[in-house]
Amino acid sequence: MTTASHPSRSLPAEPVGIRVTGLRVRHRRTVALDSVDLDFGPGVHGLLGPNGAGKTSLIRVLATVAEPSGGRVEILGHDAGDQRRRGEVRRRMGYLPQEFGYYPGFTVREFVAYVAWLKEMPAAVTPNAVERAVARVGLADRIDAKVRTLSGGMVRRVGIAQAIVNDPRVLLFDEPTAGLDPEQRVEFRELLRELGASSTVIVSTHLVEDVAAACTEVTLVEGGRVAYRGTPDSLAALGDATDCVGDNPIERGYTAALRAHRARPRQAAALGEAAR
Amino acid sequence: MSSFGGFLYARSRTVPRTLAALAGTVGFAVWAAERMDTYLDTDQRAPIVALSPLLAAAVIGVSLHTPSDELDRTAVRPWWPRRLTQLLALTALAAALLPLAVLGDATTFGPPAMIRNTLGCVGVTAAASVVLGARLSWLPPFCYVGSVVLASSGVRGPAVTVWAWPMQPGPQPGAWLAAGAAFVAGTALYAVRGARPEGPRT
Repeated sequence: MTTASHPSRSLPAEPVGIRVTGLRVRHRRTVALDSVDLDFGPGVHGLLGPNGAGKTSLIRVLATVAEPSGGRVEILGHDAGDQRRRGEVRRRMGYLPQEFGYYPGFTVREFVAYVAWLKEMPAAVTPNAVERAVARVGLADRIDAKVRTLSGGMVRRVGIAQAIVNDPRVLLFDEPTAGLDPEQRVEFRELLRELGASSTVIVSTHLVEDVAAACTEVTLVEGGRVAYRGTPDSLAALGDATDCVGDNPIERGYTAALRAHRARPRQAAALGEAAR
Repeated sequence: MSSFGGFLYARSRTVPRTLAALAGTVGFAVWAAERMDTYLDTDQRAPIVALSPLLAAAVIGVSLHTPSDELDRTAVRPWWPRRLTQLLALTALAAALLPLAVLGDATTFGPPAMIRNTLGCVGVTAAASVVLGARLSWLPPFCYVGSVVLASSGVRGPAVTVWAWPMQPGPQPGAWLAAGAAFVAGTALYAVRGARPEGPRT
């Protein structure tokens, strides 16, 4: 199998990753995302930002579960707005929602198998894929336990297992480490690095340590706009260059980038108002 | 495994529990019809014909709930065929079994009226599940049918067979038209839109 490790724009052979142009998402009257342009290639991308910044809105649109009100989303070379191509995208996508209910009475195995069925995995390979996915999140010994009997951190890991069961090319994790204990988080970062070697992985999180440890790129979102893009190292360097608050370089970088963004957009906001 | 997947889908929508509840509803209707000695006076079957389809529709409506709408939305296939199959199959079952409670005279609150009311109530409930969410979908039809039962006795006029369709004794075309329209519209609306998301993210 050949892996396209570089998202070469000139080669149309195997389109990888995600391209977002002019994305706009509205919830009733509030604007969750406003003219966002982003590119994600293979690797692990950290999505940072304060509460209500638009991280979940972005992930939900990328997961094709929410409709954008404007702009274009291209995933693995398919236009995600096109109903007929959407199935093809979803077949090769994994998504961990911030919160997901579980079906009453389902065991871990049944839950993951149900999602595999939703993703139209071939019946012959599903049982093995389910066991492998559950083992990868460290729940092999609880595979036949009812989901409702598990602790919060374990349910989170069941969610991770259902997201990776179809060996997706694009993975979207919304707050995957919430509720995991420190050891589990370390293991999850290891899994992230493994997944990022071949797939495009986007992780929304509040924990900047996760980003520093496991991500190859960082995107900082604030007020529905992209505030910063770079690598964890460049974000940390930004923090070192300023005297912002924070207990480690990357936290300082996070605060510095946010403040710089907040200082900037007065003109942008004024322009936006004028345009309306 | 696709049949296993279908089985998991049925379980995710609590179809086994729904079947048990429908069987209970039919049993209750049959028991009530016998207790009320309805074979002596078929007009006495009116409450059974008005209320048991309502209970069956409530059971079906609640089964349209999905605990994980967010994950269901990532399905590769469009949802409408599965939704339509589920709703039609459960409705067909209820419409086939409930008339057992009112066998005999077909013109006064007999099997045709029972089938008509089942279709009508399911239609209103399905539409309510789209607007209100599946768990409260029984509420609007209960209010409507309840008001009709209370208000329609003694009212005369050409429009009454339409708006009071749950209380019409038999083959009135207006009642069939209203119940049929409710069924077609409610079913189509539910198949296309699905129940309103409830639970973790609302």
